[in-house]
Amino acid sequence: MKTYIKSIVLLLFIVVTACEDVIDVKVPTSTPRLVVEASLDWQKGTTGNEQTISLTTSTPYFDNDGNSAVTNATVTVTNVDSGETYNFVNQNNGNYTINDFEPVINDTYNLEIVYNNETYIATEKLVPVSPIKRVEESLEGGFEDDVLDVSIFWDDPADEENFYLLKFYEQGDIVASFETSPDEFVNGNELDEFFEKEKDDSDEFHEFNPGDVVELTLYGISKEYDHYMNILIEQYDAAGDPFSTIPGRLKGNCVNETNPGNFAFGYFRLSEFDTVTYTFQ
Amino acid sequence: MKQSLLGICLLFTCLLTAQSEFTIRGKVKDANNGETLMGATVFLKGTTNGAITNNYGFYSLTADQGSYTLVVSYMGYQEVTKDINLTENLELNFELQELSEALDEVVITADEPERISIKKPQMGVAKLKSATIKQMPAVLGEVDVIKSIQMLPGVTNNGEGSPGFNVRGGAVDQNLVLLDEAIIYNTSHFFGFFSVFNNDAIKDVKLYKGDIPANFGGRISSVLDIHQKDGNSKNFELNGGIGLISSRLTAEAPLFKDKGSFLIAGRSSYAHLFMKASEDLKNDKISFYDLNLKTNYSINKNNRIYLSGYFGRDVFDINNFIQNNYGNASANLRWNHIFNDKLFSNLSLIYSKYDYQIVLDFVELDWIADIVNYNLKYDFKYYLNNNLKLDFGLSSIYYNLNPGEVKPTSPTSPINYLKLDEKRALESGAYISAEHKISDKLTAQYGLRLSRFSRLGGQAMTNYLNGAPVVYNNAVGIYEEGEAIGETDFKKSESIKTFNNLEPRFGLSYQLNSESSIKASYTRSAQYLHLLSNTTSVTPVDVWTPSGKFIKPQLSNQYAVGYYKNFKDKKYSLELEAYYKNIDNRIDYIDGSNLIGNNNIETEILNGEARAYGLEFLLRKNTGKLTGWLAYTLSKSEQRTLGGNAGGPGINEGNWYNTPYDRTHDISITGVYKLNDRWSFSANAVFQTGRPVTYPNAQYQYEGLSIASFGDRNESRLPAYHRLDLSATYKPKKNLNRKLQGEWVFGIYNAYNRRNAASISFLQNQDTGVNEATRLSIFGMIPSITYNFKF
Repeated sequence: MKTYIKSIVLLLFIVVTACEDVIDVKVPTSTPRLVVEASLDWQKGTTGNEQTISLTTSTPYFDNDGNSAVTNATVTVTNVDSGETYNFVNQNNGNYTINDFEPVINDTYNLEIVYNNETYIATEKLVPVSPIKRVEESLEGGFEDDVLDVSIFWDDPADEENFYLLKFYEQGDIVASFETSPDEFVNGNELDEFFEKEKDDSDEFHEFNPGDVVELTLYGISKEYDHYMNILIEQYDAAGDPFSTIPGRLKGNCVNETNPGNFAFGYFRLSEFDTVTYTFQ
Repeated sequence: MKQSLLGICLLFTCLLTAQSEFTIRGKVKDANNGETLMGATVFLKGTTNGAITNNYGFYSLTADQGSYTLVVSYMGYQEVTKDINLTENLELNFELQELSEALDEVVITADEPERISIKKPQMGVAKLKSATIKQMPAVLGEVDVIKSIQMLPGVTNNGEGSPGFNVRGGAVDQNLVLLDEAIIYNTSHFFGFFSVFNNDAIKDVKLYKGDIPANFGGRISSVLDIHQKDGNSKNFELNGGIGLISSRLTAEAPLFKDKGSFLIAGRSSYAHLFMKASEDLKNDKISFYDLNLKTNYSINKNNRIYLSGYFGRDVFDINNFIQNNYGNASANLRWNHIFNDKLFSNLSLIYSKYDYQIVLDFVELDWIADIVNYNLKYDFKYYLNNNLKLDFGLSSIYYNLNPGEVKPTSPTSPINYLKLDEKRALESGAYISAEHKISDKLTAQYGLRLSRFSRLGGQAMTNYLNGAPVVYNNAVGIYEEGEAIGETDFKKSESIKTFNNLEPRFGLSYQLNSESSIKASYTRSAQYLHLLSNTTSVTPVDVWTPSGKFIKPQLSNQYAVGYYKNFKDKKYSLELEAYYKNIDNRIDYIDGSNLIGNNNIETEILNGEARAYGLEFLLRKNTGKLTGWLAYTLSKSEQRTLGGNAGGPGINEGNWYNTPYDRTHDISITGVYKLNDRWSFSANAVFQTGRPVTYPNAQYQYEGLSIASFGDRNESRLPAYHRLDLSATYKPKKNLNRKLQGEWVFGIYNAYNRRNAASISFLQNQDTGVNEATRLSIFGMIPSITYNFKF
């Protein structure tokens, strides 16, 4: 909702005289924190046995070095309902992997990370998702007519609150585009989301053309993770513009048991997902 | 309450009216157009006995039997004197002639009310006449009341394209904006670029920055009291203007053989006409318009009725994809009644409404929301004797708030119908205030306002575990929604919660000599209605929310002292004021709060406190070819929010932090230079410390994205804001045979093209993956041209 209102306002700015430019700004620097990217995602129709958790640390905002892998941690995941424990193997590049993970829908899992003699823990449920029913390409949908867009459709189960994460990625891009979609106003209906790109001089985003390949992924997520991703996406897309929410410190679900003030960034999520790859006609 | 107040006053009348005293009363008007003059001085020469006309041009003056010379003056007008023999009560009406511009020696004078009043205890007030506002350079030539008052000390704004204004470190919703007494909820067109007030329809504006008189209530920072013109009661008059953004037309004329008059003013933008012609933008529409109306009729010498109205709207349509429209509407029916020579009254029935609609075609959604209020008000002014004047009255406002109704726009829409709970409330107030001349040098003003606010039932309220709608999750260290444990249904006849507050207002002025004085004041005020906004700038879709079960009223105490001096024969005046204020129950937002479409807004907010203090300096040059002022403010505005009932440390670990309205330094200079009858030039210069903002203090990789991690709220600042605006006005020589008088206004806004940051966004470049700081600046150098005419 807010996103749409914002786009009106930003469009207005552009119509008037607004201009944007990249400038040098001095920003504060905080001490590095552990960053946990523990996304145990289970694609429909697969075993979900192979999983990776990556650990890094935060870096100064304008530091483009990028290498901050954490290579001296231990990572364990436990299924609370079955008692099964999974020890992830340190690959010494920041990744910790496993190939015999057993995902069970609606089971609760614990994550435990020991890093620099401090123990971080997180708890989350594995959330199921409805399958993607179909994919449609059109010109009329999306923000602009005469521009190609693609939509995916799925059924929202009635009688329960559902939360979705959508990841849209065009092959060749540096980053994917994310969106959360709660069933708040649309419970029990057939839902859809579209993916469209617009011409934009500043960052060479181009419209879709026939032959372009996109990967469209739908994840089932928890209410807490929806809340987390909402803030993350909003801050990523617009942090600081006049109509964005005043940005805040984003805390995930990874708690430092040893030293609570030194919490970790990132999240421990478990999601079932469905994905389609689509080539524009 | 009302009866006893009236009773006391009537008792006073009986007791204190001595036989040898008589009263002179009447009205003061402009001789040319019959507009009543507010703030004109009527005094008996050689005495300290005098009166100032009220908002309706009425005065009342009491003196001992005898012969006097009565002097009526209003700066910018020719003084009138009249010898009188006071042996009975008199009614004397005056019409003053504006100082002719045709005189050889052109003397420009600031109007009396804009100058400081040395004697009156009223502090922190600034008055601007419509003509003064018109002289200031404006963005795209759009004369703007709201931007003009930002040139005064203690008044700022969150930057270009952000609506409203901030007074002494307060938020936008803490300003009571009244147009002919009707509350205006949104003061901006185009999301903040222009104000909704058409200057052609305005007589004057008065801004109370502290020391709010007891007759006003409901907001804690300031009152912006805007009066529309009554309409020319002498001749038919047509005013208009053609600018780059909008065109205006105002018609005024007498009615019923000079017993009444009317004014009707319209303004409309026309960018959408050009957009239709453009291939890219032909399906888009961006426009605004507004309509002002005022009419009055004098039934007899003691009774007069006024009707004023306003209707304004903004319309956006982006390719039928997103449609948005919003606006204010208001109407006020007033009855001025003079009971006797000393007792003046005004009864008002006021309606105002603000609403918005958003239609999103692609999700087939139609969203509407509104706030409506009805206000009944009865105000009295009682001129007891020369040393004591009383103001008293009653007011009652009924609010109906509809925070949102969502409808699907077609049968195939995935949207389910949803209506957020409507909220109803009743705000009442009774006040009495006295202006008391204790001695020739010492004058006091003391008042008391009693306010009562009831949040009315007719809805269910959620109950939360331990009464906490927000709880601190100790494990993760974030604030979350509390656990709902059922609902309590409140009947329409019930009140969910009622608040009562006593609001004393006190002021004192001591005259050091005929040209200087010191003043002190204390004001306590309560605010029951809050505009919830967790964005940097207020937007048209922000939600007004009444106090109630979970939201407490904001309470403010403000203390101020000041020094005032006129010098060089009143050519210059100096005002120096220092203030300190603290505010209880300032709403703050938990990290990641979601306010839109939320039926349980209490789960997103915490109750905090705020404080602000500062020093304001204003030097004015009132007369001569060059007039204008220099304003400087040194100030601080902070807030703190502890966890309280929700637990946890609070926002920003419970530390005090800068509000977004904190400006350490704020300098404004404005000046008008009248070269000759044809040409005049004006300039504005502004410098402000940058707005407090939140910058990232780290980054990390997540899902392939580079995520900015933000530090403490408002711990950084945008670069300093400064700009210079210039304008020149050319009046072609008037052809005496024709009534038409034209005027060209040439302007340059932001003359040295400073790229002031409206905001700085921290984004990852989508092509290179590198983090960047992107500055958004709104107005670069903008030239403009406007043609105004008068017929």
